[in-house]
Amino acid sequence: MSSSAEGSSHDPVDDAERSVARRESNDAWAATSLLISGVLVWGGVGYLVSLWLGSPLFTMAGLLVGTATALYGIWFRYGRS
Amino acid sequence: MSSLLAAASHVAALGRALDTTSEGGKKVFESPTKNDFNFPGIFGGQDGWFTKPVLIVVLMTVVCFAFYYASSRNAKIVPGRLQFAGESLYGFIRNDVAIDAIGHDGLRWAPYLATLFSFVALNNIAGIIPVLQIPATSHIAFPLVLAVFSWLIYMYLGISKHGAWGYFRDMMFPPGIPWAVYILLAPIEFFSTVIVRPLTLMLRLTFNMFAGHLVLVLFISAADYLLLDYSNTAVGAPVGVLSLLLSLVLTGFEAFVQLLQAYVFTLLTALYIGGALADEH
Repeated sequence: MSSSAEGSSHDPVDDAERSVARRESNDAWAATSLLISGVLVWGGVGYLVSLWLGSPLFTMAGLLVGTATALYGIWFRYGRS
Repeated sequence: MSSLLAAASHVAALGRALDTTSEGGKKVFESPTKNDFNFPGIFGGQDGWFTKPVLIVVLMTVVCFAFYYASSRNAKIVPGRLQFAGESLYGFIRNDVAIDAIGHDGLRWAPYLATLFSFVALNNIAGIIPVLQIPATSHIAFPLVLAVFSWLIYMYLGISKHGAWGYFRDMMFPPGIPWAVYILLAPIEFFSTVIVRPLTLMLRLTFNMFAGHLVLVLFISAADYLLLDYSNTAVGAPVGVLSLLLSLVLTGFEAFVQLLQAYVFTLLTALYIGGALADEH
């Protein structure tokens, strides 16, 4: 609660700190969401292919591809700076 | 959330162990189940729609309105206690949630976020208020509606600010990735923002409240059973007392979780709004 209750602060240093904090907390939640999605999307596609072709290997491949892609996406978006 | 669920399943297993140790003729311990969340209608018999959780939501809406109305009516330059409480709460959500998560546009969203936080917190905390004793938000319908609101808000803001094409392009195709990876990554990004976000928002709140209530019901009903029906054994009395003490500790813990989950729900809604309004960097 650094800023006063009256009006928002326009201190540039404060704003810069806030914007970094904002980006970081947003990134943390987005990364979790992306990991879950990676497993669900490509794991799900793999599962459907497994049902179709009758081999469980496609589910495993899908899960691995999904996790790897999500990790790559997280690294690309948030991990390089 | 997972640790709470694990704790809930652990104590549920403990409850089942107690079931089997009861001797013939004695009252059998009943573990709490999801049926503990079903209430008969207050009007219109067993299947009436106006149940206890609905009553709690209505009550808490009135309390929420009354609190903010009373604390802002006759506002003085030197605030009284009530005005100070209302302004502190609103100021906290405005400065530390709305402006921190969204930026200067956050000022516009402070009223909604403060209302959202107060409403969710009150409906959560109903779980440990005597007589009410059920978090209304443990019924998935209420978090569902709130999550849908959050979803509609950030999708609308994102599309109206960047255009439908621009919004989905920024979401699914961050520049600089080899094109082959887009085939794998774009569906994940889309799924993550459009489906997983509201889903996790809803499930996180619902099942924190569900599991927390289950834990409290288990410890309190175990204390009741052990002390009143089983206290003449070597195990009954001490474990019953332990269970009673733990139920008190866990009630305090639940108060913390209930406020924390209301804060998380509000913070995430603010972060999603901030993400939709942000210029892609």
